[in-house]
Amino acid sequence: MQVKVLFFGVLAEVSGTGIKYYHDVRSISDLKLRIQDDFPEIVHYNFRISLNSELTDKDIELKSEDVIALMPPFAGG
Amino acid sequence: METNYLTDGPVSQKIITLLIEKMGGKTDSGGHTIFLGQVRADVIDGLKVKAIEYSAYIELVNVEAEKIKKTIFSEFADVNSIEIVHSTGIVYAGEISLLVFVSAGHRHQAMQACSKTVELIKVNLPVWKKEIFEDDSHKWK
Repeated sequence: MQVKVLFFGVLAEVSGTGIKYYHDVRSISDLKLRIQDDFPEIVHYNFRISLNSELTDKDIELKSEDVIALMPPFAGG
Repeated sequence: METNYLTDGPVSQKIITLLIEKMGGKTDSGGHTIFLGQVRADVIDGLKVKAIEYSAYIELVNVEAEKIKKTIFSEFADVNSIEIVHSTGIVYAGEISLLVFVSAGHRHQAMQACSKTVELIKVNLPVWKKEIFEDDSHKWK
């Protein structure tokens, strides 16, 4: 299985890319650890997570084709 | 991904005048309140902001903007329509980056609902800004 991860705001810069695909990830907490392995400095940033365009703070099991977004505090206007 | 809520670059005078024309067609409205957010040339650590580069999560912008409109319609019974347009990409200091246009039967709800819409946008719309300084260095906000 494969999931798509979107990095927004400053996290796009931290990750060096706006999009990255991860394979065989079980859950959101598992994914966070994998992302942290790839981009250790991400621990210094606050961010919220959305799963398939819905904000969530739960540790949800992931399935193939899920889209997860990492979003720093919003700053519109 | 389609969106009615985002525009590439500054919110143009054309968008603003088109909305005034469109809202004029709703003759049950007695007042419109328009909020225009402008990029400010802040000076931070001696460096002047020349532009802001906005980025957005389009799919979630659509979801959240719909939620904001729903909230406003349920709180302000006199409001007839709400339009939200936010910039993406580069907007220079002095240019418009956000438009909120609220029409209502009477002025009080038009003004109150517009103010509340702007506040909800600030908190809930997934938009990010990068301040670009005159020396081309930048800072995320």
